[in-house]
Amino acid sequence: MALRDTVSSTAGSFATLVRRFALTLVVLAAVGAMLVGKADTVIVERVRAAAMDLVTPVLDAAAEPVAAVNDFVAQLRDVTNLRTENARLREENARLLEWQSVARRLEAENIELRALSNFKDGPRARFVTARVVGDSGSAFMRSLLLNIGRRGGAMPGQAVVTADGLIGRIVEAGEVSSRILLVTDINFKLPVMIERTRERAILQGDNSPRPRLARFQAVGGIQSGDRIVTSGDGGSFPPGLAVGAVASVGDGGIRVTPVADGTRLELVRIVDYGVTGLVTNPPPPPPPTHPVRGR
Amino acid sequence: MYALLQRLDRLAYAVAPGLAIAALILCSLVPVRVPWLPAIAPLLPLMAVYHFSLTRPEALPRPALLLLGLAFDLLQGGPGTPIGVSALQFLLMSEVVAANRRFVAELSAFFLWFGYAALAAAAVAMAWLALSGLAATIIDPRPALAQYVVSLFVYPILGWVLGRGPARDPFNPTTGPGGRA
Repeated sequence: MALRDTVSSTAGSFATLVRRFALTLVVLAAVGAMLVGKADTVIVERVRAAAMDLVTPVLDAAAEPVAAVNDFVAQLRDVTNLRTENARLREENARLLEWQSVARRLEAENIELRALSNFKDGPRARFVTARVVGDSGSAFMRSLLLNIGRRGGAMPGQAVVTADGLIGRIVEAGEVSSRILLVTDINFKLPVMIERTRERAILQGDNSPRPRLARFQAVGGIQSGDRIVTSGDGGSFPPGLAVGAVASVGDGGIRVTPVADGTRLELVRIVDYGVTGLVTNPPPPPPPTHPVRGR
Repeated sequence: MYALLQRLDRLAYAVAPGLAIAALILCSLVPVRVPWLPAIAPLLPLMAVYHFSLTRPEALPRPALLLLGLAFDLLQGGPGTPIGVSALQFLLMSEVVAANRRFVAELSAFFLWFGYAALAAAAVAMAWLALSGLAATIIDPRPALAQYVVSLFVYPILGWVLGRGPARDPFNPTTGPGGRA
């Protein structure tokens, strides 16, 4: 009886304590979550992937009506730009026809040279087409949700491209969903080179629409309009994949315009080159040598 | 039958604010390419938290706000991005509103809008500080600022829409808006 009284009074005072400090407790929980999320443990990743998997089917179901709305808006915009767009396309067509003749000549030459040098082609890439079903929804991040996950062949570290070139890489893959980090995100870093001069640099996003080139030595040779391609260093992506073009060279550093506006994509391709040299996430910490003793 | 309906109805009424916030979290993820919409979408859940903290505080217990905020953070960012910032925003916003309930009860719509402007500014500034601190760099604050400014124009519309909920509960005539008899 006395024991029961003690237990009930302890439970009662515990409940009072929880009620009195409820705000402190929930705020502490939120702050704790911030620190745990930053520490990036395996559990957090699992929870994230589970949350993504839970929501993606809903967003996927909404994809058709959303696409219809987007098409309508795009059509309205196209109608207003019809004349200028037409002029631009005529000019581009003329330019591309010139390039076509160059490409035909080079292709013939290439076949001949390959035959001469017994050239061995690299591994063929595998493509999976995915639909963009979600934006990051934050002013501080640049990422997209895709409706393809591990079951569809998406793995962290794979490149994500459009017809124009690289737009980002997969950082997280659930069973039926995955997340791309866009080249403009503040956490995105990629070894690249200037196609014309073959100089190496690191492309680093900073959440602005134009990422910058960091750790670049010879600034003299670079010009606005130079194409930026992946260098293949670090073994993550194959060399020569288009990333963007130099937008400006100035005191604020060298800025790059990415090949595609990440906020206007509907379908993208996940590319598996079969090279996984660079791991996006740091490896999990080694298990503790001494077991942690509970108090 | 009537009792069951009544109970279901009461349940729906009780969870409506939480569901509305959850729905707005989903909406903020939908990649709609309508001009200006993506700019404000991320602040929609915060607007709803402010609105319901004013009108239905009993329907938003702290643990619910914590969970909604954590879910929002988990869905927004990839590896390495902090979780808990939105949870903190939601909690602090509802606490400040709750602490000032006595004063806001008789305020006009304009002052409620002004309250949103002040609290959302504080919430956005806090998120920017927290994320910059955790990333150990200064993140460009302009997108967040643009989002905030556009949200000021959207809040009255969203507040009006959310206020269109059942003004009087058909099965529970004694509970009016606010849920307290």
